[in-house]
Amino acid sequence: MYALEVKNLTKTFEKVVAVDNATFEVPEGSIFGLIGRNGAGKTTTIRMMMGIYLPDNGEVVLRGVKVGQEFKNQVGYLPEERGLYKKMKVLETLLYFAELKGKSGREVQKKAEEYLKRFELYDRRLSKMEDLSKGNQQKIQFLTTILHDPEFIILDEPFSGLDPINTNLLKDIIMEKKQEGKVVIFSTHLMDFAEKMCDHIVMIDHGKVILKGSLKEIKSNYAQKNVSLTYDGDISFLKSHPIVERIADYGNTTGIRLKDANQTQQLLKLLVERNILVKKFDANDISLQEIFIELAGNEDGSNGKEARNV
Amino acid sequence: MAVMGRRRVMFNYRVLAVIKRELREKLFSKAFIFMTLLVPGFMILILGIQALLYTSETKNLKIDIISETSGMTTAFQNEMSTADLVKNGNYVFSYLTMSRDEVKNYLNEKKLMLLDEKIGGIVYIPASAMKDKKVEYYSKSSKNITLFRELGGPINNTLINFYFNNKSLSKDDLDFARINVDFTGFKVSKEEGFKEEGYGNLVLAYLFTFLLYFSMIMIGQMTMQSVIEEKGNRIVEVILSSVSPTELMTGKILGASLTGVIQMAIWLSPIILIMSTSIFMLPKEFVFSISSTVIIYMLINFFIGLLTFIGLYAMLGAIFDNPQDAASGAMPLLMLIMIPFFIAMSMMDNPNRPIAEIASLFPFASIIVMPARMTLVGVPMWHLGLAILINIVTFIAIFPVAGKIYRIGILRTGKKPKWSEVVKWLKYKY
Repeated sequence: MYALEVKNLTKTFEKVVAVDNATFEVPEGSIFGLIGRNGAGKTTTIRMMMGIYLPDNGEVVLRGVKVGQEFKNQVGYLPEERGLYKKMKVLETLLYFAELKGKSGREVQKKAEEYLKRFELYDRRLSKMEDLSKGNQQKIQFLTTILHDPEFIILDEPFSGLDPINTNLLKDIIMEKKQEGKVVIFSTHLMDFAEKMCDHIVMIDHGKVILKGSLKEIKSNYAQKNVSLTYDGDISFLKSHPIVERIADYGNTTGIRLKDANQTQQLLKLLVERNILVKKFDANDISLQEIFIELAGNEDGSNGKEARNV
Repeated sequence: MAVMGRRRVMFNYRVLAVIKRELREKLFSKAFIFMTLLVPGFMILILGIQALLYTSETKNLKIDIISETSGMTTAFQNEMSTADLVKNGNYVFSYLTMSRDEVKNYLNEKKLMLLDEKIGGIVYIPASAMKDKKVEYYSKSSKNITLFRELGGPINNTLINFYFNNKSLSKDDLDFARINVDFTGFKVSKEEGFKEEGYGNLVLAYLFTFLLYFSMIMIGQMTMQSVIEEKGNRIVEVILSSVSPTELMTGKILGASLTGVIQMAIWLSPIILIMSTSIFMLPKEFVFSISSTVIIYMLINFFIGLLTFIGLYAMLGAIFDNPQDAASGAMPLLMLIMIPFFIAMSMMDNPNRPIAEIASLFPFASIIVMPARMTLVGVPMWHLGLAILINIVTFIAIFPVAGKIYRIGILRTGKKPKWSEVVKWLKYKY
């Protein structure tokens, strides 16, 4: 059973197709990643899921029923571009956003105060938002997302612009919510985060879904024939070697794609013979970044080269 | 289902939460408190300054009144002792008797004092005044209109008394001859028949017009600013994840309109107080008479009219994302407030202008024009009902359009849209 199903969503803005027939499913209790580069259509997809934009076509289904106000009440949403009322006080802000979700009264206030204490902002509860530092404003914004205890937490590029402390805080919250059985959906162009946190992903490029499924399965599918290598020395000889299909340099590690899955031993032997110092040799491993570049980079390869030449 | 959804939206806890926030934000803002207190203060100040200019410009001004005959001097002394301008202490008069030659010397003698304004002026009433009523005034500033007006009466009285003294006329005859024609205005209305009326209602009509004008512009601008803030800060996206754009706009409009009505009620409270008690004594000329329906009607019509205005201001705020662009975009809307304001002002010297009658029923204009018209002339009940009905219909017609533009504009960013683009938004599916 899926918690949320996105069916054939399409949205066009003045002749530009922002989201093109996107279909994917979010399983219950999962951390779900919406992955793609900037401008791929992630935010538009999320806005349609939230009912902020009406899709030109398609629908979003919540446990078998088309989403509506019912869904909005169960969602905590952190938009990509953040902002709160500058002149409003911290506690007032939290209570207002909870009230919009239909939660008011002593219980929410108590909960808000608990969260503020945990976030070390309790003594600032009567300060105006504009008097808070940027990092603290971000904390308050997370709190408005989760204070009403939503079933679904949708975060649009949650890690962009966060300092390391807030990044960890947010990660903790996401993991905590997963333990409580909530569904967390977040979009990111940072593959590292998605790889570390997500159970399921959907990859969007140019408004189209190019890959979806459980991260584990995706990785094992792509990992065959793949070796990730950390080394010292010159491996340029591999580029034209018959067993190698492709080499990609990711900085610290190099991804080597073989023509056949059982050629890994042969590759290791080759490296040793050539006196390459192998620091790490990881067969059948692939990073999400590599998959992403393999999928999204293909179509876009020429563009990438052009950009590099400039 | 979409239609049902939209209907259901009109009032629920989310709209209520938005209204509460709007009220809190506006009522407790420094701008609101300041303006709400400042506007009446400002008006009192203007009235006060005017009163001050009329009364205390000549405090204890020393004036010599010189007559050519001693009989006349005594008569002046008697007449002036009962005159208002002596009693209120603006002038100090001395009464002297001198011949023409003596006056010449006296003037030379007092020339320096006149120049130093130690003596405000010297009035000389020659014996010839009994024939031609010509009186001379010597002063540093020889055209003291106020003094002439105030002193003219008593001097004329004395001269007339003196002139007719030897003729066989009774004092009653004299008194009658002296009385000027005095117009008393009677307001003819259906409800109260014929009723004597001072300037009170005129002042009140001015006051209503000004207050409605101020409040509409102020509340409108505040709403526009707050929409621009929500759009600029991208708060609106968080809010729209909880409420629908229609709910948000409904909440904002209702909150702002209520703020306007509260402001108006605060401004009108002194008038209500004067109407409902007899503690405050207004000067006779300023006693006004309006029925409490005028106040109630004014507030209701203002509220309904504000709904439309605020809706349009919110729409403008959503179209533009900075206050400068919005200010120029708001010009047409400002016209809709200013033109009725000037029409209401033109009613002050003739409340029966046909344009006033039309404007008092016209959408937008009736908010300002109708209260002034009600205060000045009797307005048939059906006009009152019609004006409200027209305002309601206007709101119903404008709300969906303003709402649509608001919904689309609020999420748009980037360059300032052209009006032609805004019209295209109406066809969008959002």
